Amino acid sequence: MTEILESLQFVYGPQVANGLAIGVAVVLMALGLTIIFGLLDVINMSHGEFYALGAYLAITLVGKGLNFWICLALVPVLMAAIGYAAERTLIQRVFHHKDRHVLTLLLTFGLAIIAEDAFKLAYGPNPFKPEAPITGASEILGIMLPNYRLFLIVAGAAIIATVWVVVYRTSLGAMVRAAAWDKHMAASLGVPVNRVYAGTFAFGVALAGLSGVLLAPIYSVFPTMGKDFILLAFTVVIVGGMGSIKGAVIAGLVLTQIQSLSSLWISPVWSDPLVFGIMVIFLMVRPQGLAGRLGHG
Amino acid sequence: MKQLKLVAALAVAFAAASTTTAALAQGAGPIKIGVVTPLTGTYAGIGQQVKWGIDLAIKEINDKGGILGRKLEAVYEDEEANPNVAVQKAEKLFQVAKVDFLTGTVNSGSTLAVGQVAERNQRLAATTVSFSDAITGDKCSPNMFRVNAKAGMQSAALVEWMVKEKPSPSVFYLGPDYEMGRSTVAAFKSAAEKRGAKSVGEVFAPLDNKDYSPFFGQIRAAKPQVLYTSVAGNDTVRFMSQMAEFGVSKGIQVVGAAGTVTAQNMGAIGKAADGYVTGAAYSPELDSPANKKFVADFKAAWKAEPDLYGVDSYGVMYFYKAAVEKAGTVDTDKLRAAMRGLAWDTPQGRKTMRAGDHQAIQDMYAVKVTGGKFQIIAKVPGDAAVGPDTCTKF
Repeated sequence: MTEILESLQFVYGPQVANGLAIGVAVVLMALGLTIIFGLLDVINMSHGEFYALGAYLAITLVGKGLNFWICLALVPVLMAAIGYAAERTLIQRVFHHKDRHVLTLLLTFGLAIIAEDAFKLAYGPNPFKPEAPITGASEILGIMLPNYRLFLIVAGAAIIATVWVVVYRTSLGAMVRAAAWDKHMAASLGVPVNRVYAGTFAFGVALAGLSGVLLAPIYSVFPTMGKDFILLAFTVVIVGGMGSIKGAVIAGLVLTQIQSLSSLWISPVWSDPLVFGIMVIFLMVRPQGLAGRLGHG
Repeated sequence: MKQLKLVAALAVAFAAASTTTAALAQGAGPIKIGVVTPLTGTYAGIGQQVKWGIDLAIKEINDKGGILGRKLEAVYEDEEANPNVAVQKAEKLFQVAKVDFLTGTVNSGSTLAVGQVAERNQRLAATTVSFSDAITGDKCSPNMFRVNAKAGMQSAALVEWMVKEKPSPSVFYLGPDYEMGRSTVAAFKSAAEKRGAKSVGEVFAPLDNKDYSPFFGQIRAAKPQVLYTSVAGNDTVRFMSQMAEFGVSKGIQVVGAAGTVTAQNMGAIGKAADGYVTGAAYSPELDSPANKKFVADFKAAWKAEPDLYGVDSYGVMYFYKAAVEKAGTVDTDKLRAAMRGLAWDTPQGRKTMRAGDHQAIQDMYAVKVTGGKFQIIAKVPGDAAVGPDTCTKF
C-alpha cells in the first residue's frame, strides 16, 4: 500500500504536474501559430525563431539591468512591432499570389534560417540562462513543484483565456474573424483588411515572443532553440484543428500528458514518434482536427 | 641490345627524376589538415574550442617554421554533429581539398564513420573529443587515432574517487540516448559495480531533450546517493538547472562524464553546477609550467579559457608534428608506424599512443566544480586508468 502511495506521490503525480507545465508552454507556442494559420492562411515556419528572438531580447534587456517582469511586459510589445513590420514588408508582398501557401512557407522558412544564423553571429553559439525571477518549490498534495512552474501554469492559463476573449468576445476579434471568413465582404463593410492581417500576424508573433521570455529561465537560450518546440507546436495545431484556439489547448495538454506519462513505460526517445504517430492518424482519419478553423465555428 | 639497355636506363632515370620533382613540388606546398567539426547546432560550442585549439597550435608551429619545412594549413567543414554530414564532409576534404590528415569530429558516431572514410582514402585521422570506448575498442580502425581520454578512462578515475568518498554507494544513471550516452553509462556502470556500487535505476533521454522533469519522479523514487550523467552541451544546462529548480539534487552527489560541464555551458548553468565531480583528462587549473603557458596563450588569442576539447585539439597538432618528424614524410604507412608507440608532450603532460589500439595513455584526475572552476581533487596514473587493449582489427 505504501508502495502504491509512494509511486503516486513520487512518480505519477509529479509526472502529470510536470506534463501540465510543459503542456502550457506548448499551447502558448501553438496558439500564435494557429491564429496566424487560421486567419492569414499562412504557415509560419519562422514561428520558432520569433520565440527565440523574444528570449534573446529578454537576455539583452536583463543584461542591461532591466527587471525580468518589465521585460515580460516589454518584449511582447517590441515583438508585435517586429511582427507588424515583417508582415507589411515581406509577407504582404506574396500574400495575394495564387501560390500563397508555397511562397509564404518558403519565405518564412528562409527567415528562420537567416534568424538562426543571425543569433549565432550576435550572441555566439553558447547557451545563456536568465535566473528565474521566482525561486523555491512548493508542495501541493505531496507533489513538489517549483514555484516558477506554478506561475507558468497560472500565467499561461490567463494568457490563453485573454486570447480567447479577445478573439471571440470583442469587436476587434469580430473584425478579425470576419476578415478570415470572407475578406471581400469584410472589406466592403469597412474592415481595414490589410491592417487586420498585419495586426493578427503581429499578435501571433508577440505571443511567440512572450513564450520566449516566459520559458527562457526553464529551457535556456541558444541559437537553435527555435527548433525545440516547433515540431510539437505544429503537431498540436494539426491535431487541434488548424486555426482553432480550443483545439490547440485540448490537443496541447493531452499530447504533452501522453508524452510525459508514456516516458515512464517506453524509452523516452519513443515518446516523440508516438505523438507524431497520433498526428499522422489524425491527418488520415480526421484532417480537420478536433475543432474547425478560426472564424469557421 | 646495348641501345635497348640505354633506353631502359634513360627511362628509369627519367622516371626517377620526375618522381623527385613531383615529391619536391609536393614538399613545397603546405600540409593540409582537414577539420570536420560542428560549427552549428547543439555542439557548436565544442566545435568552437576544437577550432581555437587547432588554430593556436598551427600558428605556433608555423611561426617556428612548420613541419619538415612545410607550413600547416587547416581546412574547416561543418559536421553539424551528424554522422551522415560528417561522412560527406570528410570525403569532400580527402577528395577535393586533398587534405593530408583529418581531425575534429565530436559526435562518436561521426568519428566511427569518418574512420571508415579515412580507410577508403588511405589517409589517417584522429579524434580529439569523442568518448565512445568502441573507437579504440571493438570498432577500432587502423587509420583512426584518439589523443583524448576515452569514456573508460574518465570512469576509472571517477570510480576511484567515488568509492573512496562513499563506499558501496547506490547509483542512478541518466544519459543521452545515442552511442556516446549509452557507452559512457555502460562503462561507468560496469566499473562502479566492480567496486561495490549498487545500481538503482537508469534512464536514457533523447538528445536535445528540453525538459528533464518527467524523469525526476524515477530519480526521487530510486533514492540514490550518487547520480551519474553524461548529457552534454545545452542538455546539461537544462538538466542541471531543472534539477536545482525541483530540488532533486539535494542530498545527491552528482557525478558524470568529462564533457558534461564545460567552459561553454558552465556560465549558463550557474550555481547549479557547483559540487559536480567528474573524471577528467584536463583542468585549466592544472599546475604545470607547460599548462600555465598554454592557458595564457589561449586566453590571449581567443579571450576565453581553454577546456578539455581545446587542449586536446591543440595537442593533436603536436602529436601530428612529432609523428611526421619521426617518419620524415606524410606517407600514410610510414606515418602510422611512427604514430604507434609515439610519446609526445602536451599541456596535460606526456602522452603515449598505445600501438595496439591507437588510444593515448595519460594521467587522469577527479575534478570538482567550485565557483565556476575545475579544482583537481585526486589523480589516477594513466596506466591504471586506461584498461586492457581490446582492439583485434590490427
